[in-house]
Amino acid sequence: MKRLRSLFEALAKARLLRPLKPVIHTIAGILLGNRETTTEAPHIRDHIEIKRYMSMVILAMAPAAVAAVVFYGWRAVAMIAVSYVVGGIVEVAFALIRKKEIEEGFLVTGLIFPLILPPTAPLWMVAVGIAFGVFFGKEVFGGTGRNIFNPALVGRIFITIAFPELMSARWQKPFTDAVTAATPLGLFKSGRELTPLVDLLLGQVTGSMGELFRLGVIAGGLFLILTRVANWRVPLTYLGSVALLSWIGNLAMPDLIAPPQFQLLAGGLLFGAMFMATDPVSSPSTKAGKWIFGVGCGIVTLLIRHFSGFGEGVMFSILFMNAFAPLIDTLVLNVKYRTAKV
Amino acid sequence: MKQSPSLKVILNGLWKDQPIFSMVLGICSSLAVSNKVENAIAMGAGVTFALIGTAVLIAALRKLIPGRVRMIAYMIIIATFVIVVDRVLKAMFPDISRAIGPYVGLIITNCILMGRAEAFYVSNGVGLSLLDAIFNGLGYTYTLVLVSVIRELLGFGTILGLQVMPLSFNKWVIMAMAPGAFFVVALFIWVTRTLAKMDPDKQGGGM
Repeated sequence: MKRLRSLFEALAKARLLRPLKPVIHTIAGILLGNRETTTEAPHIRDHIEIKRYMSMVILAMAPAAVAAVVFYGWRAVAMIAVSYVVGGIVEVAFALIRKKEIEEGFLVTGLIFPLILPPTAPLWMVAVGIAFGVFFGKEVFGGTGRNIFNPALVGRIFITIAFPELMSARWQKPFTDAVTAATPLGLFKSGRELTPLVDLLLGQVTGSMGELFRLGVIAGGLFLILTRVANWRVPLTYLGSVALLSWIGNLAMPDLIAPPQFQLLAGGLLFGAMFMATDPVSSPSTKAGKWIFGVGCGIVTLLIRHFSGFGEGVMFSILFMNAFAPLIDTLVLNVKYRTAKV
Repeated sequence: MKQSPSLKVILNGLWKDQPIFSMVLGICSSLAVSNKVENAIAMGAGVTFALIGTAVLIAALRKLIPGRVRMIAYMIIIATFVIVVDRVLKAMFPDISRAIGPYVGLIITNCILMGRAEAFYVSNGVGLSLLDAIFNGLGYTYTLVLVSVIRELLGFGTILGLQVMPLSFNKWVIMAMAPGAFFVVALFIWVTRTLAKMDPDKQGGGM
């Protein structure tokens, strides 16, 4: 261990390899962990840091990712691989230009992105989407921790708008080769047809790769909340507001709005609420702000699902509320500060 | 190196004070009409013509225009030439006129014309003003054409209406829409400013 560490230190010092310094540091960090400790108070006793934080998120997404591979085989593996390689190149290029450490946040983005794509997405489109997402979603804002929007969603929304036919009309059911234009939400919209909830839970329907195996998504989300990596407030208020509003809406307009149990399980709602709305960077950081954020996401999701031309509104709603996150935080702090002073 | 005034005017128009990436003027129209190369060329030619006419007239009349009403005088002169451009396009190129229709009228409010009139033509002679107008127009045009080449290639798979990409090419619909222009123009400004080593904090901006 010690020998390895000194080897990496020697490598990092070598004059020839200086441009590659961030790469060496990152490899050393992943293999050996971080040895640097603070010398001044306050000291935090836990070893939690961004790398471990991100590995927890990846662990939580593992069931959904494994299910995607089981459902769609090598295609899913290839899509994840392309996403990591192309996104990684953009990330490393920026780290080298800026002479900064490579940020581990990319490991999560690179896995989320293929999971929110339809299984029929061509590989070149995966590459375009992830490159765009990492570049315009994250790097132009200054890298991890400074982005306003969730980078994976930025990539997804770009290719959704750029290639509408490929992205929203070609869905493939797991274990079959049949490609249809219908998702459970689409079926409800066109024919008031409710897909059985068991099929939704086990993922035997059409949809984006990672959102299908909903039992796994729920388990991963609970794992994140119990380990306190993700805050419980956003998923709870998001899912809660969707459930409550669709219950009221279903009573008032049963033809237009689907019942809550279907709403919660259909589409990308669970995946989005658990893994993307909880993104610590692009969602509000105050407690009250998280409540507002979750409820806002719920309202926008339902509005888009039932009152627009798009079938699913999770992606748009999270991005939409991302834009308001800094404003929400500022308002919450202002209100709090003023009441504290009086 | 000492530059003659006219060389300086030429270089400023094409690079150092280039209207789009340096002064960030005329952004509205460059976002709106850069979806196809032919529209970009037509728009660039229209703006250049209006700019030249405005420059010559304002520079010639600069001692006669009272300072208090100069804005109104600019407006009338600019509008005259813009209407000429609009009519000519309508008569000679009805297709292009339909595609970029409202934006031709909006050349009147294009900041390049107003900005150059106030900054340059009102205080310089006819010759220099003419040179400035030609090269600012060219600066604007080449930006539009570069942006539109990228957008038409990706958004339609064609350049100047000729099929360039294979027919199986998946069109990037977003590039044909205004949001695509934001990304391409932003990249263009970023690249050129990096090349010109400009400090963004020291530059002004407008629409």
